[in-house]
Amino acid sequence: MLNYCAKRLLLLVPVFLAVSVVIFMIIHLVPGDPIDNMVQIGSSPEQKAALIARYGLDQPLLLQYGVWLRNLFTGDLGDAIIMRRPVFELIAENLPHSLRLGGLAFIFSTVVGIATGALAAVFKDSWIDRSVMALILLGSTLPSFWLGLLMILLFAVQLEWFPVSGARTWTALVLPVLTIGLHGVALVSRVTRAAMLDVGRRDFVLMLHAKGLSHRRIQLQHVLRHALLPVVTILSLRIGWIVGGAVTIEFVFARPGLGSLLITSLAQRDYPVVQGCLLMLAMAVMLGTLLGDMVQAAMDPRVRDSLR
Amino acid sequence: MISFTRSFRLVALAAVSVCSMAAFTPAWAQDATFVLNSREAGAPTYNPIKGTKLNIANNLIFDRMVMQDADQSFHGQLAQSWESSADGMSWTFKLRRGVKFHDGEPFNAKVIEWWIPKFKGTENAFMVEAIDKIIIVDDYTVRFQMKNPDPSMLLNMATSFMGIPSPKAYDALGDKFGVTAAVGSGPFKLASFTVGQQTKLVRNDDYRWASNLSANQGPAKIKNLTLREIPEDSTAFLELKTGGVDMLLGVPTDFLPRIEAEKTLKVVTMPGTEVFYMPMNTSVAPLTDMKVREAIALAVNQKEILTSIFGGLGAEAHNFLVSSLQESKINPKFNISFNAERAKKLLDEAGWAMAAGGIRAKAGAPLTVKLWTQNGTQFKRVTEVVQAQLKAVGVNAEITVQDPASINAMYRKKTDHQLAVRAYDYTNADILDWFFSGTRLGYPNISMWNDPKAEELNAKAMKGSRTWEERVTNFKAYHEYVMSQFVFAPIYQPTQSFAYSQARLKLPDTIRGIKIATQSIMDIEVK
Repeated sequence: MLNYCAKRLLLLVPVFLAVSVVIFMIIHLVPGDPIDNMVQIGSSPEQKAALIARYGLDQPLLLQYGVWLRNLFTGDLGDAIIMRRPVFELIAENLPHSLRLGGLAFIFSTVVGIATGALAAVFKDSWIDRSVMALILLGSTLPSFWLGLLMILLFAVQLEWFPVSGARTWTALVLPVLTIGLHGVALVSRVTRAAMLDVGRRDFVLMLHAKGLSHRRIQLQHVLRHALLPVVTILSLRIGWIVGGAVTIEFVFARPGLGSLLITSLAQRDYPVVQGCLLMLAMAVMLGTLLGDMVQAAMDPRVRDSLR
Repeated sequence: MISFTRSFRLVALAAVSVCSMAAFTPAWAQDATFVLNSREAGAPTYNPIKGTKLNIANNLIFDRMVMQDADQSFHGQLAQSWESSADGMSWTFKLRRGVKFHDGEPFNAKVIEWWIPKFKGTENAFMVEAIDKIIIVDDYTVRFQMKNPDPSMLLNMATSFMGIPSPKAYDALGDKFGVTAAVGSGPFKLASFTVGQQTKLVRNDDYRWASNLSANQGPAKIKNLTLREIPEDSTAFLELKTGGVDMLLGVPTDFLPRIEAEKTLKVVTMPGTEVFYMPMNTSVAPLTDMKVREAIALAVNQKEILTSIFGGLGAEAHNFLVSSLQESKINPKFNISFNAERAKKLLDEAGWAMAAGGIRAKAGAPLTVKLWTQNGTQFKRVTEVVQAQLKAVGVNAEITVQDPASINAMYRKKTDHQLAVRAYDYTNADILDWFFSGTRLGYPNISMWNDPKAEELNAKAMKGSRTWEERVTNFKAYHEYVMSQFVFAPIYQPTQSFAYSQARLKLPDTIRGIKIATQSIMDIEVK
């Protein structure tokens, strides 16, 4: 197992380098630059050129990338050009908000998704199954931006249960968590249901029935346990989205977080901040996948063997 | 006996509580939450000297020498009076006495002597570059000795970038000033600040030096003021509707009917500071032909756009400048107004004959132009109407919607664009220099216009004026020449709108200043 983990970790190094190149180039190659957001009406072209030189943006792109990568390995994400603060500080300020929101949405979607998926499988073709399927359809097709506004209209404006936006109280977390979570619920529920139905057709389940065990006991104690492997895979892939899955939701609910920071800095083309945020999101996805692979390897020896 | 004593205590306690409630306004009653105008969102610092994007909180933390009213007149804030020499080579300011910064440091002539040189090397240096020397006449009088006359001196002094920080705090904090703390002499102190989220201000209880634009000389009536940034307009509207916030400092035109339908909310509209216009790339055919440019400019029906898109709210634009500026009052013959018949005649004269499908053609080539705009409901709607209006005279305009952060770089390619629907928000005639100077081709000079006579008139307006009156005359001449060359089409002047909860706030009858800002906030009461 240790061998497997070491190999998977080593594989992350080239992936990280490739991701860093893509992140750096994407933001530098799209039109626009931070200096456009800094020059004042009335300033001269010479003053603009001086600003470009001050931030090293007149240097060849490869050289700029090299400097950024070198600094990255020393833990320095650079200073924001527009925001004028260390990028690390900005990320540290915003990350906890994203983790809180994403983490709670992840827990919500896992618990509710597995429960509803299992229910749908146990009561296949009943009204419960059909209701869950409808929920899945709704959750996977509604755009989160629109769903967020609907949540606000219903729960904040009509019922006045929760605040419309912001992050001042814990109650302000409920609607964004539900909005993000509903998408996750749909996914987890669908996978759980499908996996349970698949496992339910295996021989050992027939044998359990032959032994006289109750249907519900078989489903919940045996089938669900065996069906969890694909669910864990899906969940591990979603771990990365704990950090990055809330970009639009943070925008709709005017919440702080990496998503809000990314959108603000992207609109201003604040290169170091955009690079820092994207790197954090990419690393979250990479580490989430790694964690998922490790959990899978721990649960299934065939996965461990695949890297031999 | 014990029972009687306990009952008596309870009654007494209740009586005291009731009296307390009646006698004192609860602390929260003096608190207010405003949502920043989306144009001001994302301000990264409260350092007026180095900042390039500031919001309304900056003017609440820092006082300026002068303030500007809606009629463009100047009113003293930290300067009590001022005068300029006849040749424009010196400006003398008498400073207000008794002003203290939030850290207790005094404001006097030495502060000004320290402050102006701090701009050197910053992005805002151009605003004070005409000042050669600062002479301290006495503790409360300073004289600026000029390198050259700068009739924009008062205008510059009234901008947010001219907020004066406490020298002691500024020097002590260095680059952290405006980020971790900001110390000025304004009616509010900075309590906390999260970029892109919110700024919390607390009242400066020592404040007694508001300008004469405020009825209340200080301190402010609001005790704690939170300025939130809500990027999504629908969310901001719902916050106001549910009482989560007390005022939206900017309301998109689309939302006005919805807010007006709410009994507890009130919308206030003020003359706008923005102009929608359509620059034409004079370096790319067929817009190299002035007849075609004039025809396109005359094909834009300003009245139709005002009524069909903006419900009549705002004003038609017929020249380049905001109508409150003196320089916008040019000879009416230079104003551009809708005239479809003349537009058609000009296109005929230019050799673009009407062809099948209602699109004109010359030598078999259809009259097709690229029409750019940026993301945003209003931009898209205006552009679509302009496209239809151009079609009506036989011009086929193909719309491309660009990302706002990318579009300026796209203009810099110089020949990719032809027409563009855009807007600017600025209240100084020197915007003409910004958008039409031959030194800034591509962007901001999207029209790619480089005309020797225009350059000469521009230089005279920018550098050759000694007094404000001369400056106005020179800019009018430049403005008229720009208009005569049809390098853009004027479209629309929006109003500024803000909305507030009548249940929570009481606003002064007249909103002073160009926008709702310090002078009016001083007079706002929380009910």
